[in-house]
Amino acid sequence: MSDRTDVLQGTLALMILKTLDSLGPQHGYGMARRIEQVSHDALKLNQGTLYPALVKLEQQGWIRGKWGMSENNRKAKFYSLTPRGQKQLVAEEDKWARVALVVGRFLTPAGGDPS
Amino acid sequence: MSGLKRWCARLLEWRRRREIERDQAEELQSHFDHLIDDHIRRGLPPAEARRQASLELGGLDQARSLARDARGFRPIDALVADTQLACGQLRKTPAFTLAAVVTLTLGIGANTAIFSVVDAVMLRPLPYTDPDRVVVLWEELSTSLVGPGVVGLPIAPMRTSVAPANYVDYQARVRAFDSLAAFAPTGRNVTGDGTPERVPAEEVTASYFRVVGVSPAMGRAFLDSENVAGNDRVAVISHGLWQRRYGADPAIVGRVIELNGQPHEVVGVMPADFAGPSTAQQLDQVSVWLPIVFEPEVLTNRQEHIVSVIGRLTPGVTLVAAQQELAAVSQAIGRDFPEAATTRAYADVLRRDQVTAVRRMLMVLLAAVGLVLLLACVNVAGLLMVRAVGRQREIAIRYALGASRARVLFEQLVQSLVLAGLGGASGLVFGVWITRVLVRLAPATIPHIQTAAPDLRVVTFTAVMIVITALAFGLWPAWQASRTDPIDTLKAHDRPAAGGWVLKRRSGLLIAEVAVSTIVLVGAALMIKSLVTLNRVDLGFDPTNVVAASVVLPPAQYPTPAARLIFFEALETRLRQEPGVRTVAFGNRLPLRGDWISGMVIDPVGAPVEGPPVMREAGFQAVSPSYFETVGIAVRAGRGLLPGDVAGSEAIAVVNETFGRALLGGEHPIGRVVRRGPGMPAITIVGLVGDIRRTGRADEAGHRAAEMVPQVYLAAAQTTLYPLPLRDIAVKVEAAALGRVRPAIERIVADLDPNQPITAARTLEATLALGSANKRFQTALFMIFGGVAFGLALVGIYGVVAYGVSQRAAEIALRMALGATRGQVLRDVVGRYARQVSAGVAVGLTTAYLSSGVVADLLFEIEPTEPLVYGLVGVLLVASGTAAAGIAANRATRVDPMLVLK
Repeated sequence: MSDRTDVLQGTLALMILKTLDSLGPQHGYGMARRIEQVSHDALKLNQGTLYPALVKLEQQGWIRGKWGMSENNRKAKFYSLTPRGQKQLVAEEDKWARVALVVGRFLTPAGGDPS
Repeated sequence: MSGLKRWCARLLEWRRRREIERDQAEELQSHFDHLIDDHIRRGLPPAEARRQASLELGGLDQARSLARDARGFRPIDALVADTQLACGQLRKTPAFTLAAVVTLTLGIGANTAIFSVVDAVMLRPLPYTDPDRVVVLWEELSTSLVGPGVVGLPIAPMRTSVAPANYVDYQARVRAFDSLAAFAPTGRNVTGDGTPERVPAEEVTASYFRVVGVSPAMGRAFLDSENVAGNDRVAVISHGLWQRRYGADPAIVGRVIELNGQPHEVVGVMPADFAGPSTAQQLDQVSVWLPIVFEPEVLTNRQEHIVSVIGRLTPGVTLVAAQQELAAVSQAIGRDFPEAATTRAYADVLRRDQVTAVRRMLMVLLAAVGLVLLLACVNVAGLLMVRAVGRQREIAIRYALGASRARVLFEQLVQSLVLAGLGGASGLVFGVWITRVLVRLAPATIPHIQTAAPDLRVVTFTAVMIVITALAFGLWPAWQASRTDPIDTLKAHDRPAAGGWVLKRRSGLLIAEVAVSTIVLVGAALMIKSLVTLNRVDLGFDPTNVVAASVVLPPAQYPTPAARLIFFEALETRLRQEPGVRTVAFGNRLPLRGDWISGMVIDPVGAPVEGPPVMREAGFQAVSPSYFETVGIAVRAGRGLLPGDVAGSEAIAVVNETFGRALLGGEHPIGRVVRRGPGMPAITIVGLVGDIRRTGRADEAGHRAAEMVPQVYLAAAQTTLYPLPLRDIAVKVEAAALGRVRPAIERIVADLDPNQPITAARTLEATLALGSANKRFQTALFMIFGGVAFGLALVGIYGVVAYGVSQRAAEIALRMALGATRGQVLRDVVGRYARQVSAGVAVGLTTAYLSSGVVADLLFEIEPTEPLVYGLVGVLLVASGTAAAGIAANRATRVDPMLVLK
């Protein structure tokens, strides 16, 4: 995982929430694959990163896990967004957009106006 | 907010952690399997797919551990582990654990119990509306009785109840009181509806229920118009009487019941928990309230101090303002009515007034018990400190292995909390038990104590004490233990580096321990000495094997003294025939059963004296001829009373020795003449009897032996001379017949008049015991506390010395190996601790001496600085403390020196 970007603290939660929002209920393996795809393999999530994040989100009450059968016909735990998770996602998206904007301004050459 | 939620989720998850971990493992396994599936799909053979997946994912165990950390189980796990560790360590050292827990149990239990009692007696508000606004009024007398044509003598100011005439004026003139109420204790014979019984009653003004702000649960309170003669045949009864005697009759309101043979209509029933303001003075609960009716002559006589008065402060008026206004009005009344000029009125909050008599006792008990708790904490602190030193090496190793100070401190704290929790829990149980015992033992003279039970506040109090105790005795040693430098500790082989620190504090602890227990023991010894002194006071009569009872004959059926005399003479004659009875006597009041003070004038001998005659006071008793024999009063000179002293024969009296001393300037009283007032019939003194302490050994305040009061004994058959209604009967019996007397009296009275109940049937000795009940109660408590303090101090000394000697084992062994005998070594060691014990005793005795004033009020006839008490306590503690040190040192040095040195 040397040349791959470590998941920025706090962004993983946003990515998980967004994935569940766009794909609907999904198990951990599926989420990891999806995040890899979307990031064009820039992010590689191992179990030791993903599952602790899922535990925290579940304890916070933003997602809920439920056992079901996967497309491979295997038992898997499917996570879905709770209503509070939905709200959290909106808030996180907002926050991220603001952060991205501010950071973008810093990185734009002086005098340049990003808007 | 969300942090808290996560913690809740964590705790919930932690409770089903096994299930969750299985779940997590399955989930990770599922992830792994999906990855294998993908590799197979891409064409890898199954074995290769599995190998590839393992490489990509890394260890499953690590992932599981990370997920577990994310759940936040680690601090919970640590707490559980520390608790288990602490419990394990406590289990490994049962002697230490037992000593600590027993110590805490005693300290916390005793505190819980005493706090429960203090709470019930002094802190809990009375069950009235706005109880802080209810005040009690009293007046102060500063001269003896005065009357038409006679003058009074100055006396020490004496608190007295209120004259109804003054009450009426206070009601009209003092604005600071919203309402005032007057009431007087009395009793009523309840007849009809079953066996006759005599119940405590109160005659009250209609405002009584308004002042306390409590209405009857059924029916109504009195109307103002019922405080008028003719309208007063109504009654409010207690819940208890309604239940007991009238079978909780739902139609009780309106029912007519018979009181003293007169029909009364029940208009109301009070709530079950109602207790009147006089509760503090009365041993039995009032069962009947009746309207009080002031006779016209009572309302003009300002010397008839016959009613208790309570009042409610007008909203917005302070107690001080009310007191000032009341004082001004009462002094104005004094100027308007010179015969009452010596009266001044006072008021205080009822709650405070009720507990005046016991406040000091409870405060001192609270202080004593606080000292016991302090001692308990010092003891446990000593134990823990010694242990902390014992664990230095272990702690040093843990630091060396990288444990954080916080972690080590936390573990120590958990250990103290577990200890405090154990001590607190058993202390609470012990406290509940002690409270019950106290309530059972407590004399009825302590108001409200029957309601004492540990409630929420007491439990809170205990919990706070436990936490403070845990912090006090746990953290400090733990902090010190955590500050030790691991390297130093590990370098010093057998003597922990912090030993010096503990050594210094240990002697301080020992001195403190001895000092605190000295203080408690001085208190206990003072109480014991006090009680012994009290019991040695000579009563002057012999209460042994005398059973007394009262038969209050209602005036309606027994209107004349002659009618009452016939009843009692018949009763006496019949009782004499009972087996085991030695003598029988009757009178208006027997010793220990109340007093009857009256005024008289004494005829001068020789030339008439200038000016108006002086009214003198004495106790007046109307007694039957065998009275002196029955209660064991010696006839000193002249004659006693004879069967021939009857109405119509010469009016005679027998007086006691104090009569001559106090009233006749030491002249011999036989042959002198007294009269009820100027111009009244002459009563000639014919005999002289010994003095007695009629009201018991102690005076009212309980500080001194009761004073001897002049007494005049009149013949029961001549009671037309003074209004002394016969009431009490005394039966002196063989010890074996004691139990048969009461049934015999009941049988004979029922035979003579089935409508007359007998009351207060008990031995004079039992009545006597009731009088000193407060003193015995406080002495018993102090003895318990003193014993506990003494025991704790000895255990503490033993522990400190045993530990100290074991720390110096190598040094001692070396000295013995070099030729010192064990005796020399012991003398040396014990001598050092004996000096510390003596220092502690000195500090304790000095502190006790300087603060001894606080117990002065609780003592009988001895000074709080009584040297004998201090000397004995000092000798006892130095001797037993040295002995404890000796035993501990003896055991600790009984080792083979070679073994230690190797």
